[in-house]
Amino acid sequence: MNHSHSLWRAEASLLLRSNRNVLALILLLVLSAASVWSGIVQVQDQRATIERVEREQVRDLAAVEEANAGPEGEAGYNAYYAFMLTQDPPPPLAFAAIGQRDLQPYVLRVRALGLQSQLYDSETYNPELALPGVFDWAFVLIYLLPLVVIALGHDLVTAEREGGRLRLLLSLPGNGLWRRRVGLRYTAVLLAIGLPLIIGAMIMAAPAVSIATMILIAALYSAFWFGLAMLIGGATRASTTAAATMIGCWIILTLILPTLAQAVIARAVPVAKGVDLTLAQREVVHHGWDVPKEETFARFFVNHPEWRGQEEFEGRFHWKWYYAMHQVGDEAVAADVSAYRDSLKKRETMTKLLGYVLPGVGTMNVLHRMADTDIQGQLAYQDSIAAFHTKLRQFYYPYFFEEQAFDHSDFAMIPRYEPRSSGGTPPTEALAALAFLSLLVLALGSRRLLNAGREQGGR
Amino acid sequence: MTAVKLIAREEWRMLARNRSGLIATGLLVLLILVAGFTSLESRSAIEADRTRYQASVDETFDAQPDRHPHRMVHYGQFLFRPIAPLAFFDAGVNSFTGNTIFLEGHRQNSANFAEARQSSLLLRFGQLTPAFILQTLAPLLLIFLAFASVAREKERATLKLLLAQGIGGRSLIAGKMLGHGAIALAVGLPAFALLLGFAATGAADWATVGVMIIAYACWLLLWAFASVIISALVARPRDALAILMGLWMITIILLPRALPEAASAQNQLATKIETEIALHRDLLKIGDSHDPDDPYFNDFRDEVLDRYGVRTVEELPVQYAGLVAIEGERLTTQIYADAAQRQAAREREQNAFVHTFSVLSPLIAIRQLSMTLAGSDPAAHQDFLDQSEAFRYEFVQRLNRMQAELLPEIGGEDPRISAAYWQEVPRFSYSPFNPLADRTRIIWPLLVLAGWLAALCVLALFAARRIGGVAR
Repeated sequence: MNHSHSLWRAEASLLLRSNRNVLALILLLVLSAASVWSGIVQVQDQRATIERVEREQVRDLAAVEEANAGPEGEAGYNAYYAFMLTQDPPPPLAFAAIGQRDLQPYVLRVRALGLQSQLYDSETYNPELALPGVFDWAFVLIYLLPLVVIALGHDLVTAEREGGRLRLLLSLPGNGLWRRRVGLRYTAVLLAIGLPLIIGAMIMAAPAVSIATMILIAALYSAFWFGLAMLIGGATRASTTAAATMIGCWIILTLILPTLAQAVIARAVPVAKGVDLTLAQREVVHHGWDVPKEETFARFFVNHPEWRGQEEFEGRFHWKWYYAMHQVGDEAVAADVSAYRDSLKKRETMTKLLGYVLPGVGTMNVLHRMADTDIQGQLAYQDSIAAFHTKLRQFYYPYFFEEQAFDHSDFAMIPRYEPRSSGGTPPTEALAALAFLSLLVLALGSRRLLNAGREQGGR
Repeated sequence: MTAVKLIAREEWRMLARNRSGLIATGLLVLLILVAGFTSLESRSAIEADRTRYQASVDETFDAQPDRHPHRMVHYGQFLFRPIAPLAFFDAGVNSFTGNTIFLEGHRQNSANFAEARQSSLLLRFGQLTPAFILQTLAPLLLIFLAFASVAREKERATLKLLLAQGIGGRSLIAGKMLGHGAIALAVGLPAFALLLGFAATGAADWATVGVMIIAYACWLLLWAFASVIISALVARPRDALAILMGLWMITIILLPRALPEAASAQNQLATKIETEIALHRDLLKIGDSHDPDDPYFNDFRDEVLDRYGVRTVEELPVQYAGLVAIEGERLTTQIYADAAQRQAAREREQNAFVHTFSVLSPLIAIRQLSMTLAGSDPAAHQDFLDQSEAFRYEFVQRLNRMQAELLPEIGGEDPRISAAYWQEVPRFSYSPFNPLADRTRIIWPLLVLAGWLAALCVLALFAARRIGGVAR
């Protein structure tokens, strides 16, 4: 016990004696801390923005109420002018994996008009700032951690041979040496990447289980790279060659293959349906003015039979017809909407499949699904907006069809959007695939390392 | 001079025997070509799509039946942003900006359906264009080819031999720089050929392509030179590799990602909702045309009555509501334009903040220069937005004038004008953005790249002196 303890201590001082190793570990720690801090700042900015918008919204709604609600108030005008706020606050893990939250709107106002012409509006963001991608913990883990592993692990065997110590080391009994050497480096890397995340999670009050899962993901991803380091380190003769080969692997796995795959997916799954459905919806809504009103009502009653028989009105215009026309416009493009969403989901699925073979992509997928900051999270937000929009319409219909006045008490009853309960669960399949891939490479790597040691040492 | 050439030639001979180096170079060149052709192909597919969409929406606009002109104001027009020809080379922010915009009266809608919002996070790994390969991957290749160039000679003690033969430190460094500089340019050659071919077909002009080639040549030389110099300054090839990898990681991967966070934390953009609410409030401050006692619109009415020499609105030869619509559109457009300008100015400030760091990370300079020249930078997108806004104002006012002038003759409960008039409403014709129009956006990053090259040359002199000192 005491003996093994001192062996570990010796290994640790060996690890820390190298400037390069210490520098690499400190760099990883600093970058991990900086990314967590930057993620927290961004999440807090988003929260502050939501609060700011909420305050503005209260003032705006008050003005709309004053202008349109009252004993003589018409529901139609209120529904037309009262934009209702929906918001998607950052999920608890968003600080670690911001994902698409820098591009996708997290506040959106909708009114009782056609949803499909409101749902895809962009929020203002600076495209040039979005271009290089976000700087968050997920980025440090996926891109930079492998480089630190390469710095620490590429010369495990080769450095010993270059230093003329390999024969001596191999003459020692047991495999404990390599296990200690790799295990120590592995633990140091995990601590450097993981500690800032844990502190960040405490600040942001993120659920402990999720953070533990994220650390597990980091552990698996690091295991892959250490496995690769042993695999390559055991097969090459010079440290420089080993480093160059590993960097080559990193380039291929995190830069070249993902970009190639992105180009292939973008080609294979077109998403033009988004434009199609917008154009089609406009045609239906505007065409509504030129066709007999009975026709519009007939289509409206298919899904809203409860208002059948109340469509008659005097004159050219009535709010019930106007809003029915908008709803018919939405319903007419339902097939396009689901085709559009299917194309987005298909792109996600293809990326998920790619993650089964590319550990960087797999790690990205799992992290962002857990953080709920990927396309799926955005689609869920859109779903919740659509459900709210339905509630909003249903609220107004009695006022339109029964021609009730819209007083202040009615205004107070306009439904408000409740933020969806966000926070994804770790996708078990993808996590299992990542675990399989990482552990496989780790096992192969350690076998290769031991064999290589014996072969080369025996020479 | 011959010594310099001799050393360069020897370096090439060495590299020709380095099998992995040859394979990596071959792969990179192949990758540039693959990226070039797939990107070219996808650009023409997108462009064809947008042209088709534009033609079809223009056609449906013409095909609308007899209507009240105000209905056509809200039927509106869709515009699809054409892609600049060179965007195949550098997609710039094109995937991050919306490419479809719906134009209607008294509203400024956002450009929607940006590719990045419709793609998985994979897009954030980068896009396969020649620019991505040249900016991100080519420096790595140049590092790999050159990191050992001088340090190797030191480690094997051949350096002393060379110096003893009378080859000075300067000639040695110059020779290695010549050798690796030539390789850097050779690596860029397929991309340059692609650009030149494009200019030859007339799809891009020679000046733009020329500046683009100069910029990338500077960029590639910069990494080749830096690799040789670092190699000369350290004792072992391994150290050179570690330092150069660190430089690459910081300047190409880390800083470009970290700086935007700093820029957006400093200077936040208002959300669309806040802007809309503020605009609405500003409008109400000017006046409410529905309010019979509104001072602004009462003055407006009196002025109109004066102009036509009549006493009441009913006596006007034109429809008064149409005139109010014209005035209202003028007011809203002004307020919208002010807000849009403020927003654009804030974005420019954020970008300028990032650009100042190009002194530290030349990637920022080459990226900015490259997308500017390719017509895929934010300025080109802003130009499209400006053009579309000018067009929106023109077509909405045309319809408003139709309402004012034609409706009094028609009258009736449901006044509509003939569908024939829709063909008189202007259609959007995009005038391509000239990236060379604003020279400052080109000159500053070029100066940064030239400055880096100059600084490296000074550093090379220093390295040469140190090496020369070894012999003594």
